[in-house]
Amino acid sequence: MSVDPNAATQGGFGPPPGAGEHRRPHPARYLVPALVASAVAVGLGVYGKSHDPAGTAFNLAGFSSTSAVKAWLGTTAFAFALLQIVSALMVYGRLPGPSWASVLHRWSGRIAFLVSVPVAVHCLYALGYQTYSTRVMWHSLLGCFFFGAFSAKMLLLRSEKLPGWLLPVVGGLVFVVLTVVWWTSALWFFRTFGVTT
Amino acid sequence: MKRSGPLYTLLGGLLLALFMLSLNATTGEGNSSYGNDSPGAASPAPSSAKPTGSTPAPTKSPSERASESPSQSPSKRPAGKSEYAGRTADDAAAVSVSIRDDKAIAYYCNGRDAESWLKGDVEDDGSMRLTGKNGAKLDATLADNAVRGKVEINEQPRDFTAARAKKPSGLYRATTEVRGAEIDGGWIVLPDGRQVGILKADGKPRPAPRLDPETGAVPYDGGELTARPVVP
Repeated sequence: MSVDPNAATQGGFGPPPGAGEHRRPHPARYLVPALVASAVAVGLGVYGKSHDPAGTAFNLAGFSSTSAVKAWLGTTAFAFALLQIVSALMVYGRLPGPSWASVLHRWSGRIAFLVSVPVAVHCLYALGYQTYSTRVMWHSLLGCFFFGAFSAKMLLLRSEKLPGWLLPVVGGLVFVVLTVVWWTSALWFFRTFGVTT
Repeated sequence: MKRSGPLYTLLGGLLLALFMLSLNATTGEGNSSYGNDSPGAASPAPSSAKPTGSTPAPTKSPSERASESPSQSPSKRPAGKSEYAGRTADDAAAVSVSIRDDKAIAYYCNGRDAESWLKGDVEDDGSMRLTGKNGAKLDATLADNAVRGKVEINEQPRDFTAARAKKPSGLYRATTEVRGAEIDGGWIVLPDGRQVGILKADGKPRPAPRLDPETGAVPYDGGELTARPVVP
């Protein structure tokens, strides 16, 4: 048995009963998250592609543009995603960490996700799914994929009898995709227009 | 026991998304900013803030014109058509000038929200003073196969240099109507192949989709538009 993701480092949640046993999980444990993930990713893409991009959306005070707001929100999400990697390594005992590492992991993930939602809403509502350049194509594709993968990760968390490698792999995938999405948008924005608010 | 934390997280994200969508849908364009943003500019004046009076015609007075007799010096202006494309010195926007004989049309575009079409006459010495809507001005000189000068959009003067552009680089425009919406797109294809363009649908600007400079085809809304080279 490889690492049990449910085992908190110290204190926190105890391992749920049966978590250490190696029983074959019911296929629904994989299928439901996979199907939901596909539905989310495809649904977002279809919405982005089919509706007419509005071109506009509301802005936050203090920023010169919604692009700047999105770049900073995206960067915030990415920063919390980095914290996700560190805290995940702590939860798995690969890094020395405090007893509240799993709480840190949970909440930094929530914040990263919630911060990314307005960005995605603006992207899909105002700009839509576009493919007019390589950067934009990958950003659109992986942006939709990210929310699918994230949904899968969340749903997989609810299952207890999964192979130990699955969560780290899906979590890592979510992180990699978010990195590319950030790279093709916020980083591009900062490099094109300067680090501006 | 199944943990419900992750479900709440997803649900929270979904609710937030729906909340933002409803805000977007109900806010309308009143305080929307995507169309007017220009983070590249240091402090852009809102385009709506300054409905300037009509600018006088840019041509020099007849007496000035008469003093520059064509025989004085060989004209620096190439006869026929020529196009120029380049960027502003601060790299905030692209500028392209299309010249035919003594007429010029220029396009300033930052690729997101600020653009201006300008036109006017080219003097025999290669100088030009072009004007556009909302007080847009372009003062430049054509020399050594490049147009150099200053362009002023939204009261922001910027220096620019536009080098001679050979097809497929140059200036393109598409004006048409798609499902009742007035479409007006402008593209500057820079000599290195990069494109800067804005596509306005019913006056709302947004980054233009990539144009195929060979054919002028532009993907739009599931269909295709055709952009044509701009000639004064």
